[in-house]
Amino acid sequence: MDNLFIAATQYTPEVTMNTDGIVAFKGKSYPENTFEFYRPVMAWLETFVNAVGCDTLRVEFEIVYFNSSSSKFFFGLFDFLKEHSAHKKITIIWCYDEDNESALEAGEDFIEDFPSLNIQLKTIA
Amino acid sequence: MDINAVKQLAEKNGIVFLTYAGFLSQTLISGMTEALEKEAEYGKLGAGEATNIFTIFIEMAQNIMNYAKAKRPDGSFNKPEGIIVVGKCEDGSCYYVQSQNNVDLQDKEKIQAKLEEIVTMDSESLKKRYRELRRSGRDSHDKGAGIGMYEIAKRCQRVEFSFLPNDQGQFAFQLKAIVTVNKGEIL
Repeated sequence: MDNLFIAATQYTPEVTMNTDGIVAFKGKSYPENTFEFYRPVMAWLETFVNAVGCDTLRVEFEIVYFNSSSSKFFFGLFDFLKEHSAHKKITIIWCYDEDNESALEAGEDFIEDFPSLNIQLKTIA
Repeated sequence: MDINAVKQLAEKNGIVFLTYAGFLSQTLISGMTEALEKEAEYGKLGAGEATNIFTIFIEMAQNIMNYAKAKRPDGSFNKPEGIIVVGKCEDGSCYYVQSQNNVDLQDKEKIQAKLEEIVTMDSESLKKRYRELRRSGRDSHDKGAGIGMYEIAKRCQRVEFSFLPNDQGQFAFQLKAIVTVNKGEIL
């Protein structure tokens, strides 16, 4: 399988998905059609979790703000990771600006909704 | 057209950001959001408050855009037009994001049911309901998650809404979200 990279736009994040198990979403997320935008992301993850080799997956989110359908998509993504946490060691890092209590709260909500996932909150300056 | 009258009207109502989009598109929405972001940056608006205002703005604008893509019962499409304003409250303690677009009776009933529930909820029960709906996927449709109204309500102190009937058998749907601001401003 190959690495996947999608450059950021004004309304979609930079997506980095490396076969060494490092995945990152960085920027804003309010696409016109969220599920269509993230379709290659899910396809990549699907292949990754079923592939042998890399046993660890680290997913980093640094999302400044997002619309409600992105919120729904992220929820689905966490759910997918939860389902596959038995055969991959998964770590999720939710980054937020320390002044941005809304971004922090979004991370805390995911922790509450997915107690079995290893989700860490990390401040960015 | 007395364009100065528009400016005076905006000043009188504390409007800092006014958009009327004949055809609201994703490109326009992101351009407007970017402009709003710059103004908030100049005014040193707090990051959390700014995020809430941008999210509400995006949510309202994309609602209008998506609404126009839905077919009406007679097979025709709605015009993707609406008005969105961002304004400062008179005493300076808050901002409001307000939108208006036309909706059919059928959609009025759906939106109204959600909003009538929302206005009775405190912020804790609103957060709970939001997460419940996000989890269940109920109400989700191909254009969105169906939780937009809850997203808006969760990010402000108060929402107000009304539906005014027009001559075409539709309703002007007005929605206002009030966000308290403790730090900075939108210039």
